[in-house]
Amino acid sequence: MVDQATALEHLGLAVGSPGIKSVGPLAFGPEGVLFVGDNVGAAIYAIDVGDSAAGGASTAIDLDNLDSSLAAYLGCSREDVEIRDLTVHPHSRNAYLSVMRGSGDAAVPVIARIDASGAISDVALEDIAFSRSDIEDAADEDDPREVTRVKLRTVTVTDMSYVDGLLVVAGTSNEEFSSTLRRIPFPFTGETNANSLEIFHVSHGRYETAAPIRAFVPYQGNNSILASYTCTPVVQFSVSEFRPGELAHGKTVAELGAHNRPLDLVSFEQGDEEYLLVANDRHPLIKIACVDIEQQGSLTVPDESLDNSPADPVTPGVGVPRQLLPHEGVRRMANLDGDNVLMLQQDPEGNIHLRTYGVGDL
Amino acid sequence: MTQGRREQTSVGLTLAWCELDGRAALKIGGWARIEPGDLEGPDAGELSRQFALLTTEALESGRDVNSVPSVAGRFEVSGDALYFIPRFPFVAAASYSLVARQASTGGADEAPEIFHIRRPAEEAEPTAFVAAIYPDVATVPVNLLKFYVEFSEPMSEGRAQRAIRVCRDDTGEPLEGVFVPMDPELWDPGRRRMTLLLDPARIKHGLVPNMEAGYPLIEGVPFRLFIDPAFRDAKGRPLRASGERRYEVGPDVRERIDPRKWRLTVPAAGSVDSLMAEFERPLDYALLQRCLWVNGPDGETVTGHGKSGSGEGCWSFTPAEPWVEGPYQLVVDRRLEDMAGNSPVRVFDRDMTQPDDGPTPTDNVVVDFLCERA
Repeated sequence: MVDQATALEHLGLAVGSPGIKSVGPLAFGPEGVLFVGDNVGAAIYAIDVGDSAAGGASTAIDLDNLDSSLAAYLGCSREDVEIRDLTVHPHSRNAYLSVMRGSGDAAVPVIARIDASGAISDVALEDIAFSRSDIEDAADEDDPREVTRVKLRTVTVTDMSYVDGLLVVAGTSNEEFSSTLRRIPFPFTGETNANSLEIFHVSHGRYETAAPIRAFVPYQGNNSILASYTCTPVVQFSVSEFRPGELAHGKTVAELGAHNRPLDLVSFEQGDEEYLLVANDRHPLIKIACVDIEQQGSLTVPDESLDNSPADPVTPGVGVPRQLLPHEGVRRMANLDGDNVLMLQQDPEGNIHLRTYGVGDL
Repeated sequence: MTQGRREQTSVGLTLAWCELDGRAALKIGGWARIEPGDLEGPDAGELSRQFALLTTEALESGRDVNSVPSVAGRFEVSGDALYFIPRFPFVAAASYSLVARQASTGGADEAPEIFHIRRPAEEAEPTAFVAAIYPDVATVPVNLLKFYVEFSEPMSEGRAQRAIRVCRDDTGEPLEGVFVPMDPELWDPGRRRMTLLLDPARIKHGLVPNMEAGYPLIEGVPFRLFIDPAFRDAKGRPLRASGERRYEVGPDVRERIDPRKWRLTVPAAGSVDSLMAEFERPLDYALLQRCLWVNGPDGETVTGHGKSGSGEGCWSFTPAEPWVEGPYQLVVDRRLEDMAGNSPVRVFDRDMTQPDDGPTPTDNVVVDFLCERA
């Protein structure tokens, strides 16, 4: 532990007890550092998970009734287990889950680790090497108007990715309805907002609007981001167009339809082509070829194709071409090792399973 | 492994809750009928082969006892007893089962003995209630974007989806799909105020959900927002009573907030009377608490106390020091919103074919006023 902590000093991590209050979105950064979104504590932590194992020959992880097994491990009932996010360690290929056990004062944040044998362990959250970045708006700290007021504003992080020295963070404010993508330099320096971006998107060439980004995935060597919104559009924007302090505009490439909510996105390669998967709470798992996003113009007419024919592939020309995959109840996804995608799936009875799919079968 | 130790395995074990080093632990009595000299005998590996603590739920799930993960923690010999110290605190009212195997085999070929124990339940007298629901108005626009629900005490997360509903006031029929699924829920840092977002996909012009399903609310049809007692406070207790609020539904609002239309009542220089701003329509309750302030003739922010008035239709500001003669500015943060998400700089869903909808410069908006002697 000490050796590893020393090894991560150059990333600003120091040993202590971070006091993590909740665990939400996860993302791995450089050298196996795990970023953990703590929405109750209004912070993002970079922690050393102490996982120096090298991935074995077989990395596939399949664990049925993951939620029941986690409940058994955590000593609680299944209904006290809430799995919030899934990611994969870049070297050991172990799966990491953010899990809340219980709620309210009794809530216990847990980072669970599942190895290829399906064995469960958890990451120590005390006496570990860590660093912290607040997700409050730094500007508010010195705001004379709020001196006598209780601070009520929060930003709830919904997704994170580490991209070339920056932790990109999507979040939803509990007050203003905006689309702010924070870019936090790592190692953490205390700077957040200098790099924040407000992103607008245009629907059907006519209505321009902003909304909180729910989930996103960098692709094309981190040059592009595909984001899905609380209010259903799937929007592409180029990282090169980011200019601090300016409004960015994204290209709406698809809509996901009524009462549907995007849950997660992942990228993978099949042959020489890069593809993206979009998991939804109501619609099936969607597969999109990145090359098609490139060629897709911005939607100028409402895209009803998915709602009208949820069981069939969509007619090209109405939104980006996409293929509907049969994997049911996909809640979270992670690229396991380039050859496999790990999926957290919920069956119709509500049981949650962890399953591995080869990219050739997607 | 000695013959003596094999005999003292699992006959007549007794389980009891206890505290060990300030933490709740499980004491396993009747185990240590061994010579004091042997106490350091069994190592952790041996103990965990011989004993496993499972949740009774897992034990009774029908899965193979040997494949169910045991409760994370460790067995430890202390004094003359064996203890289980959990890695995560035991859960109130949960049942646990100790699986004891013969030490000689340490394996699964002999049926293990099983002992059960249940954690005590905690007192659950409900005290929390719904303290306020915003907007604090009688009529909301059909494209209303947010409610804020304030509770009297800190609350638990994860209950809103089950405990909050909206019904037509005329028929009592529930209105479905009104809210964005509440995952994650949006709370203030104290976990007392929850923000409920109405589904923006159904509010925004031109999106398929708006065309298919229409607005979440129905113009002209009053509704009630209900907060069910099944909500849980931070201690896991239900609410003392349900909360509810009735609203009428008016036409949509799709225009920028225009501070030029506000009516200012300007106090006299030398007084500490309040500046009063009356809005052209009610504004967002939460944002009003931080999106308005006053700059003095010197350009500095004036220290004082601002608060929104009844129905979020006005805002008053009382300075800490008397007003001086000269030009002041009421500053309107560009992030201020009305009930439908329109701000001073943009319409919530801007129609790009309407020049009037065009965004204004993205800076804060100011309203000038002059303080004079009475």
